[in-house]
Amino acid sequence: MDFFILSFAVTNGLLLGGIYGGVALGLSLIFGVLRVVNFAHGSFLMLSLYISFWLWSIFGLDPYLSALINIPAMFMLGFAVQALIISPLIKRESALVVEPLSALLLTAGIFLVLDNAALMAFGPDVRAVQTSYYMPSLMLGGIPVNSQRLIGAVAAVIVAAALSWWLRTSHLGRSIRATAQNRDAAAMSGINVPFVYAVTFGIGCGILGLFGALMSTFIPISPSIGLSFGIKSFIVVVLGGLGSIPGCIIGGIVIGVFEAVASQFVTATSAAIGSLALFVLILIFRPAGIMGRA
Amino acid sequence: MHRDRFYTKPGLWLATAFSMLSLGLAAPASAADPVKIGCALPLSGGSATVGNQTRVGAQIAVNQVNANGGIKALGGAPLEIVFADTQSKADVGVTETERLITRENVAVICGSFNSAVTFPATEVAERYKTPWIVVGAVKDEITERNFKYIFRINNKATFDAREQIDAMDLLGQESGKKPKTIAMLYEGSDWGRSHAGNVKKIAAERGYDIVVDEAAPPNQVDFSNQLLKIRAAAPDAIIVALYTPDHLLFTRQMMEQRLDAPFGIHSVGGGMEDPAFYKALPQAAVDYAFVQEDWQIDKIKTTQDPLMLDANKKMEEELGYGLSAYGAQGYSSVYVIADALERAGSADREKLRDAIAQTDIKDGPALITGYLGIKFDEQGQNTFANGVISQNLGGERRTIWPAQSRSADVKPVWPVPGWSER
Repeated sequence: MDFFILSFAVTNGLLLGGIYGGVALGLSLIFGVLRVVNFAHGSFLMLSLYISFWLWSIFGLDPYLSALINIPAMFMLGFAVQALIISPLIKRESALVVEPLSALLLTAGIFLVLDNAALMAFGPDVRAVQTSYYMPSLMLGGIPVNSQRLIGAVAAVIVAAALSWWLRTSHLGRSIRATAQNRDAAAMSGINVPFVYAVTFGIGCGILGLFGALMSTFIPISPSIGLSFGIKSFIVVVLGGLGSIPGCIIGGIVIGVFEAVASQFVTATSAAIGSLALFVLILIFRPAGIMGRA
Repeated sequence: MHRDRFYTKPGLWLATAFSMLSLGLAAPASAADPVKIGCALPLSGGSATVGNQTRVGAQIAVNQVNANGGIKALGGAPLEIVFADTQSKADVGVTETERLITRENVAVICGSFNSAVTFPATEVAERYKTPWIVVGAVKDEITERNFKYIFRINNKATFDAREQIDAMDLLGQESGKKPKTIAMLYEGSDWGRSHAGNVKKIAAERGYDIVVDEAAPPNQVDFSNQLLKIRAAAPDAIIVALYTPDHLLFTRQMMEQRLDAPFGIHSVGGGMEDPAFYKALPQAAVDYAFVQEDWQIDKIKTTQDPLMLDANKKMEEELGYGLSAYGAQGYSSVYVIADALERAGSADREKLRDAIAQTDIKDGPALITGYLGIKFDEQGQNTFANGVISQNLGGERRTIWPAQSRSADVKPVWPVPGWSER
């Protein structure tokens, strides 16, 4: 393989990996704080893709502008799902249980309901947003870099940095981190734990709202699109370190670049299998993930 | 006890009345009992888009047959079609087939688009001695198992592959320019793999080199890696066999990356015969692409048959677009069944099977797909099946192969211009 193809592959991997990481951010945050593995993560992404699609298709709203509606809408949805559906379950589980397992089953149920509701409401047709303007691919030394994907990957890094900064410095951010460390101690210090949980879930979904808007410009949308991203997100989050924000982006990029380069030597399918082997290898040496604290 | 008697009496009465009613119905009206047709289709899951089009097509044909007096040989019996959802999954397809046969007690089944579903499901039908009209599924082996009850009206995968290479040969002869190297990208289940295998075999016989051979599991989120591989190999033409979501993503990314193939994209249907595909892409992305499909795309423009024109209109009312390959195949299969019922004069599975085996259709609505005829060989394969290859020219798909179906105003663009010249 010559150098040109190799650098092309790395570029593709960086772009896709960044987007994988950005999509996985919410999943990682929710797990880090609530200890809930949100199985419905991909379905929330699917919903936010549809929000941007319908805003574009019915009102002619630019997909990038639709983020302004998409993010608050997804935040409220996430907030409501946590406050109304998951929270009663967490309350019922005894305080000794740190990782509510039944929440995994519950979110799996939410995933089934959302995906099938979308199939019923929107039909099985594959849809795609077509912007009226043409965004040319940037040429990077002969390598065409798709602008929409570049925006997505850069946004992932910015969101991750902003989120870490906000969690460190703001009052609410500190409450979230305190709750993540020990929810009983946090409650005793006067933190409204159910509220913090709902806000965290809301933020997790709000981030998906942003990526739904950004990705609607280049991903064909169908009711089953969530599953493909959902599974990738799990791998990325576990690889990067559960609950670690920078780990998410790094995990995404590792998977993205590995698959891009490996698929130049073997079929892309085998490369995807290889990435799972890499995943197992990394976890053998770093069981808590690349950035996770054991 | 008093209460019990009070309730028993009317219950008894009702039962008596009901049995008398059913007796009364059974005797004189049995000839006009509706004939139940089962249709197992992917109405959800990855192939739901196409399954629903087939469903609408089949339903339109049933409505037409019923509106025109039903099955005359059965005293005007109407057709009743029962749809079952295979969810594009083999195991579900098998259980749904069993349900159609044993519970719904259908006379004949049609379906079920996905080769991976049709292959095991037809085995169940064969075991239950229930005739099955294969719709859409192209896997060769479906009609190579010495089965007695399985009939396929559409192409085998081998035919599809041969036609794609035939079209390249034809255009090569006409222009004197011909691709030498071919890249193949196909979905990694039954359909894609068997197509790729056939292309490889036929391409080797006719002197083409396969330079990229890449399978992709369904529902990809990105094709950059595969596209880069194709770019590195620089093939003259690309043969694609992908279902709608993947085909969309691939085509879109190919445009974004401005990847040139001098002799174009040759899609064997899947995504590119799906009308939803064209709605979701700018025209520039599909310009000059070749599509092989079991349906003559400009048929509605050339036909005068009022039934076909009516079907096209109904389809448009129901789905927002006119007949597609999938709608046409569903439509055609019902007319094949209706034809067999007329000749069998019975909804008995055994007699119906014999009638289907004797099918010899030379015209009429069953040929809406553009086949030259319908006549089954001893394996149940329609030997007159043929697909049509069209090229996207000026926002329309125009037939370019077979040459006799190409209309006079169609000039194929070959080789196709690169992205920088469009």
